[in-house]
Amino acid sequence: MPTRSSVSAPRRWAGLALSLVVLLVVWSVVAAADLVQPHYLTPSPLEVWHAFVRANSHHAVGGGIDRVVRGEENYFLWEHLLVSLRRIGLGLALGVVVGVPLGLLMGSVRWIGDLVGPYVDFLRSLPPLAYIGFLVAWFGIYDTLKVWLLFLAAFPPITLATVNGVRGVRLDQLNAVRSLGASRLQTTRHVILPATLPDILSGLRVAVGFAWTTVVAAELVNGLPGIGGLAYLSGTQNKIALSVACILVIGLTAIALDAVIRSIEKLVVPWRGKA
Amino acid sequence: MSKGIAVAGLEHAFPARGGAVAALGRIDLDIAPGELVTLAGPSGCGKTTLLRMIAGFASPSTGSISVGGVPVTGPGVERGVVFQQPNLYPWLDVRRNVALGPRLRGVGRAERLAIADRYLDLVGLSDAADRRPYELSGGMQQRAQIARVLAGDPEVILMDEPYGALDALTRERLQGELLSLWRATGKTILFITHSVDEAVFLGSRVLVMSPRPGRIVLDELVPFSADPDLAPDEIRALPKFGATAARVRAAIAH
Ligand SMILES: Nc1ncnc2c1ncn2[C@@H]1O[C@H](COP(=O)(O)OP(=O)(O)O)[C@@H](O)[C@H]1O
Ligand SMILES: [Mg+2]
Repeated sequence: MPTRSSVSAPRRWAGLALSLVVLLVVWSVVAAADLVQPHYLTPSPLEVWHAFVRANSHHAVGGGIDRVVRGEENYFLWEHLLVSLRRIGLGLALGVVVGVPLGLLMGSVRWIGDLVGPYVDFLRSLPPLAYIGFLVAWFGIYDTLKVWLLFLAAFPPITLATVNGVRGVRLDQLNAVRSLGASRLQTTRHVILPATLPDILSGLRVAVGFAWTTVVAAELVNGLPGIGGLAYLSGTQNKIALSVACILVIGLTAIALDAVIRSIEKLVVPWRGKA
Repeated sequence: MSKGIAVAGLEHAFPARGGAVAALGRIDLDIAPGELVTLAGPSGCGKTTLLRMIAGFASPSTGSISVGGVPVTGPGVERGVVFQQPNLYPWLDVRRNVALGPRLRGVGRAERLAIADRYLDLVGLSDAADRRPYELSGGMQQRAQIARVLAGDPEVILMDEPYGALDALTRERLQGELLSLWRATGKTILFITHSVDEAVFLGSRVLVMSPRPGRIVLDELVPFSADPDLAPDEIRALPKFGATAARVRAAIAH
């Protein structure tokens, strides 16, 4: 695997660049042809780019009104993005803080795992939007709601991956440290936790993807500032170019988040696949 | 001061589909402090099972085990275990693997790393101290594991075919190292092997186990390894070495 991707990396990038160019040309042609009416439903790449720049700068309102506004809805687009990222950051941090210790406990103490496992499993299989109404009733419509929602979305995959990791620790790795005099707590700290790290990071990766989908959807409810909120609002206000710009930013952010976690994995578990 | 091992009336059967697999027949065994006992026997006769019970990883169906007069109820720091697989932790470099025992005892950072370096030097691994275990050859990993066990300063060392997977040259060098080490420290060692040559070369006492269910069918004191006047590379050339090896081989084949 690694050799294949490293050998052909330049070619893959060239291929990607070429397909992007083709895509942009086709998109421009389709937009210029105005197959769909009204005209604003098919913004050209250039219009999307302008909307993107506008959303990141102070600009005149237009329409003959002499007023300058800040970005969109008083926030620059990158600020909308940061607010959404902050929300999933908080939700994921809580998910790790609760999920990892819970997973270690469930994996180490059989009966706790058997007792709690089905509930965590149930929670994971629920689409988070199923309980957003319930959470609104509990926490209102402000940021507390969204952080809770993201926490509930993030912690089950992290917990279950941790449990899986703990149960997969080789018995003799545990025996070896016990023979060196480790207590229960020391065994967890020095062997179970590091041995489980690759699984925890896999769980985190799943959780990040899940949380990102969820936050964007959750921002339909009082989501401003927020990139999902902006994507939704601009669509309903027929600012299609801006909406498309938001969609592109959301997608590219998802890819970037995944890349970040993968490089953390490389950094933190260099032994993965080698031992 | 090292400790002895006492195994009394031990028998073990593994639960299996449609009954039980008798792994160990009746074993009564006393190992004196400072002995280097080698245990040979055909594959599957129960050697590992016995070692794991002395290590405290499992308990026997019947019978009792005590080390230094204290009944074994679980793993303990006074019983170091060298596994057949090196079992090093890939998230620690070699030095920190070796320093783990002192670390668990609460020895300070500078001191435990110094201890690790001393044992790495002893097994000839100083150059590899900063590497990760998976960057080492099999023989180096085994030496690192032995250094880790020694740094834990156990009174009894249990070794399960530690050199089984190594090439003949590495193997003989490590055997020589172990012998010098035992002569220098006087630790009690139980060393499992399926090699007759290794058993006779290392052991101050050689045990042979019968096929499953394992019982001890030969128990013989061997004079070579304990003799401080014999250099390790002279032992195999002795005529009596060949004679002892022949007796051990016959006992295994029986
Ligand atoms: N956990 C286990 N469950 C069932 N049978 C086992 C288990 N461990 C070992 N055995 C059986 O017990 C016998 C002795 O095994 P072992 O002690 O590993 O032999 P040796 O180390 O002498 O090769 C073998 O027949 C093996 O299949
Ligand atoms: Mg064995």
